[in-house]
Amino acid sequence: MMRRRVTGATRMPIFAVALLAFSLGADAADTSPSPAGQALFRRHCGPCHLQGGTGTFMLGRRLGEQNALLESRTNLDDAYVRAVVRGGIQSMPRLSRAELPDADLARIAQYLAAPQH
Amino acid sequence: MKLILPPGLSERALNRALDAFASVTGREWVLRSDEDRDTYLDVYAPGNEASHAPAAAVAPASTEEVQAILRLTNEHRIPLWPISRGKNYGYGGAAPRMPGCVVLDLSRMKRILEVNERHGYCVVEPGVGFYDLHEYVQSRKLPLWLSIPGNGWGSVVGNALERGFSSQPYGDHAAQICGMEVALPSGKLVRTGMGAMTNGVSGPLFRHGFGPSWDQMFVQSNYGVVTKMGLWLMPAPEATLSMSMKLPQPEDLGWLVDVVTPLRIRGIVNHNVSVQAYMGSATMSSQRSDWYQGEDHIPDSVVRGIMARHNVGWWNFTIRLYGDPEVNEANARVIQKAFAARTDLPFTITRWTRSDATGNAGAPSPSVFPLQIVNWHGGRGGHIGFSPVLPPDGKLVVEQLQRTRQRFREAGIDYSGTFYISGRHVINVNLMLYNRDNAAMTQRVRALFATLVKESAAAGYAEYRTHLSYMDEVAATFDFNDHALRQLNETVKDALDPNGILAPGRNGIWPARYRSQRNSA
Repeated sequence: MMRRRVTGATRMPIFAVALLAFSLGADAADTSPSPAGQALFRRHCGPCHLQGGTGTFMLGRRLGEQNALLESRTNLDDAYVRAVVRGGIQSMPRLSRAELPDADLARIAQYLAAPQH
Repeated sequence: MKLILPPGLSERALNRALDAFASVTGREWVLRSDEDRDTYLDVYAPGNEASHAPAAAVAPASTEEVQAILRLTNEHRIPLWPISRGKNYGYGGAAPRMPGCVVLDLSRMKRILEVNERHGYCVVEPGVGFYDLHEYVQSRKLPLWLSIPGNGWGSVVGNALERGFSSQPYGDHAAQICGMEVALPSGKLVRTGMGAMTNGVSGPLFRHGFGPSWDQMFVQSNYGVVTKMGLWLMPAPEATLSMSMKLPQPEDLGWLVDVVTPLRIRGIVNHNVSVQAYMGSATMSSQRSDWYQGEDHIPDSVVRGIMARHNVGWWNFTIRLYGDPEVNEANARVIQKAFAARTDLPFTITRWTRSDATGNAGAPSPSVFPLQIVNWHGGRGGHIGFSPVLPPDGKLVVEQLQRTRQRFREAGIDYSGTFYISGRHVINVNLMLYNRDNAAMTQRVRALFATLVKESAAAGYAEYRTHLSYMDEVAATFDFNDHALRQLNETVKDALDPNGILAPGRNGIWPARYRSQRNSA
């Protein structure tokens, strides 16, 4: 059910996607191979990095459409994800440990680095 | 980022203070590594991030922990820089004005204490973001519409304390504040307004209280740490009627200001009208290299291309009417009549009522998509805004527009202006976009900003809000009677904060202990 709803988001206006991302984050806990990681990703990263987000747009410009959507990528490893979140990259703001504790970041990194997510 | 200490303090003294903070919050929430410091730097800094680098951060989870930290801070004489969520992008983000401060990060304090549907208000802690409050309201189907600024990632409390705004009827966020709980620099907790009664129940309902009203004293200041805030929320309207128009020439702004201003003052229009130049749509969906390769300001021929491709005017605005459909229709006729005296251009009109499942309601939802603008040049993008407050007089507004555009052209920075027509004033946000990897461009931006501050002050205009790096320059423009306002601000500062521990230099207010740092980089 979760997958269907996310797919639906691609047809929504850009301004609605961030809201959807946030809402999904709250109830995503029991439907994914890495539920905590997925929910945390969508809550903390989703406003920029789901379909239609500014991060997705910027990555598409810089790395090509095949690398634009983080959840669709298979070339991310968890150390890289952690480094980018704490160190920032290009115009992306860094996230502090107060906002995103290490344990939660580790779950997000594992989720994005998993072969299938 | 390597450690930068506050003036006059040793690393040993800092570490003693941080250890003491850890006894309050637990070690986990004292953030003191190089990597931790990096996460509080100004990611869009128009210059060297080190100019505003913190020494560490501490993240309390409760009001009691904030109070305990303030008491320890007085003991250890460590300067703190409070942030709500630290998303004040374009103005410094989470970074402190004075390097070496310890960031007091309140983002863990994110309780939504009350949302009152019947009376239209909320009471929230500073870590509550617009996403959090929106989710709360939506999930409970409460008939309330939030007013959300362009960057919806930030804090509800923090944005109000910065005088952030949106183009909604409740869009002047500082004006919606009704009652606060504040930890003073000593650690003493006060509540303002009717909330100052131990059993007071009218705190979020009546702004003034009994005697002086102190809420606004804690806005854009460094007199206390706001730990709770009451804010008024707009009831969801029965219907909206939106009227959009594109204007072809830059000088059209003048008559637009003169037409909208009386409508706004009379209450026919009940929100500030955002009038955005063509660049708004271009920066949100493309990069400069898509349009132009030159180093100078984008030429007019390219501007016409942007307008044609995006189907926008030189200026673009929407007036939105909120309320009963009959009243909206009547007000729309008044607006159309006022415009007909000045232009034949048509409005594009859209309507929404509660019974519509979809449609252009104007219902707000948080977004961070506007941050897309920083990608205009590519590289590590940045932005700052020069935002003077002008009288709502078309002739004066156009003169300011022409002066500003000329300076942008001379600096080779693409002009990107928005005018918010707000009844008795117009706020003019002039966005400067740059590539932080291009030192020459960043330097041109800094010079342009300083010129605009000076020239606008000569015309009698000052900013309503500014970036950390310009707080002293802007504060200095309020110079009546030998800077009497600054003297008042700093007299209050020294009385409340004799050890100068709280946000030294915020909005140009320096405590005696650090006053020598005024005008430092």
